[in-house]
Amino acid sequence: MSEEHGPRYRPSSPAAWRRWAFAAVPVAGLLELGAHAVQTHSVARREDWEAARAYVEAHAAPDDLVAFAPRWVDPIGREMFGPSIATLQREGRPDETRFPRALEVGLGAAHLTELADWQRGEEHRFGRVRVTTWQNPTPAHVLDDLVSLVDPAHLRVSRVDGGRETDCTASHAAVQSGGLGYGPAIPGERFSCPAGGFVGVSVLADLDYRPRRCIYAPAPGGGSVLRLRFMNVQMGRTLKGHHAIYVEAERDRRGAPVSITFKAGTSLLGSVVHHDGDGWKAFELDTSDLAGQRADVVAEITAPSGDRRQYCFEADTR
Amino acid sequence: MKLPSLRLPERIGWRDHVLGASMALVYVNWLLVTVRDVGVPRDEGVYFRAATDYVGWWRMLLERGHDALQQSAIDGGWSVNHEHPVLMKTLFGVSWYLLHVKWHVFADASTAFRLPAMCTAGAAIWTTYVFGARIWTRRAGFVAAALFGLMPRVFFHAHLACFDVPITFMWLLCVYVHWRAQERRGLGGTLAWAIAMGVVYGLALETKHNAWFFPAVVVPHGFFVHRRAILRGLRVGRVTLPASLVAMAIIGPIVFYALWPYIWNDTFARLQWWFDFHLHHEYYNIEFLGRNYFGPPSPKSYLPVMVLATVPTVTLLLFFVGAFDRAKVGARRLRAWALEKLDRPAGDATASDPLETDLLLALALGIAIAPFFLSKTPIFGGTKHWMPAYPFLALFAGRGFDLVGAAMMRALPDLTGRSKLAAEGALVASVLVAPLAVSAHACPFGLASYVPLVGGTAGGAGLGLNRQFWGYTTLNAAIEYMNPSAPRGATVFISDTTWEAWGRMQEEHRVRGDLRAVGAPHEAQIALVQHELHMNEVDYSIWTAFGTDAPVYVVQHDGVPIVSIYRRP
Repeated sequence: MSEEHGPRYRPSSPAAWRRWAFAAVPVAGLLELGAHAVQTHSVARREDWEAARAYVEAHAAPDDLVAFAPRWVDPIGREMFGPSIATLQREGRPDETRFPRALEVGLGAAHLTELADWQRGEEHRFGRVRVTTWQNPTPAHVLDDLVSLVDPAHLRVSRVDGGRETDCTASHAAVQSGGLGYGPAIPGERFSCPAGGFVGVSVLADLDYRPRRCIYAPAPGGGSVLRLRFMNVQMGRTLKGHHAIYVEAERDRRGAPVSITFKAGTSLLGSVVHHDGDGWKAFELDTSDLAGQRADVVAEITAPSGDRRQYCFEADTR
Repeated sequence: MKLPSLRLPERIGWRDHVLGASMALVYVNWLLVTVRDVGVPRDEGVYFRAATDYVGWWRMLLERGHDALQQSAIDGGWSVNHEHPVLMKTLFGVSWYLLHVKWHVFADASTAFRLPAMCTAGAAIWTTYVFGARIWTRRAGFVAAALFGLMPRVFFHAHLACFDVPITFMWLLCVYVHWRAQERRGLGGTLAWAIAMGVVYGLALETKHNAWFFPAVVVPHGFFVHRRAILRGLRVGRVTLPASLVAMAIIGPIVFYALWPYIWNDTFARLQWWFDFHLHHEYYNIEFLGRNYFGPPSPKSYLPVMVLATVPTVTLLLFFVGAFDRAKVGARRLRAWALEKLDRPAGDATASDPLETDLLLALALGIAIAPFFLSKTPIFGGTKHWMPAYPFLALFAGRGFDLVGAAMMRALPDLTGRSKLAAEGALVASVLVAPLAVSAHACPFGLASYVPLVGGTAGGAGLGLNRQFWGYTTLNAAIEYMNPSAPRGATVFISDTTWEAWGRMQEEHRVRGDLRAVGAPHEAQIALVQHELHMNEVDYSIWTAFGTDAPVYVVQHDGVPIVSIYRRP
């Protein structure tokens, strides 16, 4: 009895800790089991997603961003929210600057890093699914989005080979696509050039494998120029855009650079070059001299070689 | 009432083999029960075809021996998949022919193909038990064998007619036979174990090229064990070599050559091609921490992170306990040796082990993982390429368990009889139950599954770790959506799944027979994306081809997308 109160048996003594240190192993085993049980039983249910969807459907404005976090849950988000909310425009967005507000549908504590500088608003929980509203402190006002102008009424496409310009005609054909390594699908609604090549809206996997809805306009290579004339575009202070090459054609960094030159009428707005490895690269051209006017915007795409130059760009006036 | 004594004799013997075989039998049965939900991966489809060809040649040899030995017949029978040697594929083929075609034991051809690899998983458990029982204790052997079998990735790969689990077994068996061959015996016993070593090494070479590295385990170990005899011999001008190493060098290549008819002709050119194929292997991509690696340099953190993320934490904890203990023993021996050299008293020198078992286990584990710290080693196989290290990790864990058990008994000295038995049973359960739960839950999505330490499957996805490869989850897309819901005769873009794998699953009525596989989204009414980072490009192609980005169904594991299924609107 007296020994139990002596210094040898004080629970906090090093000897006592050593004596019971073995218990760390079975405790670790049981903790692992407990964590497994918690993790496998804390999955968002279909009802949670449906309730979140009903909320977002009622509250999202057409120009709001609706996005899913973490990024890996995106396929489930698209399945549950459907194409009317998880639109191609939202999923394949060039960036977040044009959206005044975002409804972020997330699991756990996950948030999109792109929204980190936005002002966090109200949050609603639907079981394990959470909808957080974010306000963009500096939303951009887009005047015209060139991607939405890819149709025969607003765009003319031609290819210039050796000084000779040939029209690429608007057509409605079957989509062409393939498996891994094929590149972005070639859309059914496209401008087809007699000498080869096409222009149409597709979704490109960029260097980070993110979806980018953009104008798929493979560079013809050599001395040839692919010319896109967007008609009667509402001009603002800048022409802002991004460009990239399909990931599989870009990641080895062996391809030729692709240049895109923008003109408004006859005046040069600027030229930007995409080198392999640049990924989804932003550019911005000053158009303040033309602000408030309407003009034809011409984009000319060239590359020293056309080998796997599966080029895609997007731009808007703001 | 007095319970009958279950005490086993101290000597490890046939009863232990019965126990090891029983564990193996339970494991193989578990694999057989769960195998139908595991789809056919890309590689397996090729191995099935090779296995069928190989067994066809063997039948030809039995029926028309002279014709079969012509080079044209040999090359015709053995050319498919000649980048890998043939032991397992031959066994897959024999199993298929006997257990599916001839005797109809298995209704699914794939189960018959897969059985030999499953048996090697069972045999690895058996060998781990016996090895652990001989080195440490029966309890350590049992826990080691169980912890090995309850690694979720081992459990997944053990279902497949591939070579990763078989070479894990062969690596372990080689180490075990080499270890037994170092024991002092009479001439007959020494010779028998040496010959066994040669044969087993030949079979290992015939299983997979991991065996190339095996001499790096046994040569330094064998020389160290016999260092005194070797030095004594050298002093009198005689070269003395361990018999097992000599047998390995002579019999191993003979067995290897004899079992692979493809290299009977143009031997050196074909061997050179085989070496070159693996020394300059293509780099397939794999996602690691959110980045896709397509080539060197491979990240040096890949192996440690993947081991932490896929081996149950309690197993690793026990491994560290056991490995630390053996390292301490080794350090004490080293210190005693150094003091002896300095003519100073060695103090509490630890008795030496004539078989140098710790060194052998450390080499067997270390050599199996060492290539994955080289920046040029491809990492596309995930964890499967270093699985030969896992039985040794488990053996150290078994030692760790022994130490924990002994510490428990010291802390609870009053436990006797049934209460002691119950406490020991509870301790065993406490370290096995989590690995069992995680492994059972991982099936059939073993490659997507990660341990609770990193947050489970969702944690792995959040860390940007690979979720699958080989497109084998198409089966789960069929079970959950296509079989009940696809229109009759629908065309299906099968994406990462091969035609052979799709055809096999249809033949076995696991995928509806009326569905027609196509090679491009625009040709399909239904399109699949087996989620891997680089498969995103296929996902986006489907968006354009179908005009929608919304799948109609997503196969999930713990809320993580595994396969997206699109249906043309």
